[in-house]
Amino acid sequence: MIKQAIKFYSLKELWKNIKSLPLKRKYLAGGSDLIISLKNLDIDCLIDISDIKELRVIKENKDNIFIGAAVKISEIEDNDCLKKYAPAIVEAAKFYASPSIRNIATIGGNIANASPCADGVLALISLQSLCILNYYGKRRIVKVMDLIKDVKKTILRKDEIIEGFIIPKKGFKSVFLKMMPRKAFGIAKAGLCVSYIANKYYINDISIAVSSVGPKIIKCIKTEKFLKNKFLNEEIIKKASLIIRKEISPISDYRSTAYYRTEIISTFLVRALNSIK
Amino acid sequence: MIKKFKIECIINGKKFVGEIEPNLRLIDFIRDILGLYGTKEGCGEGECGSCIVLLDRKPVNSCLVMAFSVNKKEIITIEGVEMMKYGKKLKDSFNNNFVVQCGFCIPGIIMVASALLENNSNPTEDDIKKAISGNICRCSGYEVIIDAIKNCI
Repeated sequence: MIKQAIKFYSLKELWKNIKSLPLKRKYLAGGSDLIISLKNLDIDCLIDISDIKELRVIKENKDNIFIGAAVKISEIEDNDCLKKYAPAIVEAAKFYASPSIRNIATIGGNIANASPCADGVLALISLQSLCILNYYGKRRIVKVMDLIKDVKKTILRKDEIIEGFIIPKKGFKSVFLKMMPRKAFGIAKAGLCVSYIANKYYINDISIAVSSVGPKIIKCIKTEKFLKNKFLNEEIIKKASLIIRKEISPISDYRSTAYYRTEIISTFLVRALNSIK
Repeated sequence: MIKKFKIECIINGKKFVGEIEPNLRLIDFIRDILGLYGTKEGCGEGECGSCIVLLDRKPVNSCLVMAFSVNKKEIITIEGVEMMKYGKKLKDSFNNNFVVQCGFCIPGIIMVASALLENNSNPTEDDIKKAISGNICRCSGYEVIIDAIKNCI
């Protein structure tokens, strides 16, 4: 039962007041996932952080791009800097739920929710992004892939917030593939995001993440290792598609079956690698 | 004890100041507190788009937004859609093209279309389809809906 709601507009204001709030408190960023499950949660207090100014920016320097945690998915879709340096996340945003939900949902919420089918997280992990966490003004930086522990579980401590993400400007090109039950507004049956640096068919660097085929989004380290510093040809691609099958652990549920998901991921990898020139 | 939230926002051009329950969703606020029944609740989980309103002139599902979150923001519902550049034109076009069957999805679709046309006054059919991809019409009148939006261009 929610007894109190509060909205903050700066981090300073948040850290100053948070300790006086009821103990069973929860952050609300976009809320597109949280509000549906509100009835089943035992929370006394909701803290809206969606308009905290420090979390609302996208900025860049020479080496990195910073995306604030409360940046809306629709703002990612339209951002020129991200289009240039991190096309994977722009692609993810284009296929993210529906246009009106993209105006609500935030990138920080997408990861705090720790769903194994989160499109935004898939792109962030593939782009080798880091995450800035803020706990009463003290910052720590972790890899996005280490932030999620299990289905719906993160390493966030009580009251700790995600401040934003750092995407390194490595010059990755990306392929983002998502299998949906329909053309628009679908939750992924399986998804794959490959970010790479290649010289013709020679792979200098590659980073592969897959969604909906395990308890969390998986980075396929063995497949990456196999492909790195190799010339792509039919045989190599075939071998890679066999390796990736062993790195995933899909389940059968109401969205799809484990068999189909395995086939899709392996096919997606072949498609992605074939598009590398 | 429940602590009410002091809210201040602009609804269809008019300022609202008052106290609301902390667990209220935007759709409940619009319908039950403000008495604006044009906005409909279909699924209550963001799937159908019937509850779409404009929040700072952008379409959002009002069943997925908390009422207190819209503090200091502007909301436009179907009742105030004529505040949008193409609002009146859309309403007339939906009437003249006999678009409405059961009508439950129409408020949401008109809100989405009014936001689309405000940003892009010459959308392609594909742009229109993408814009209404979050709206479900169970009478399946999509063709006439798309035609009616096209007629406003």
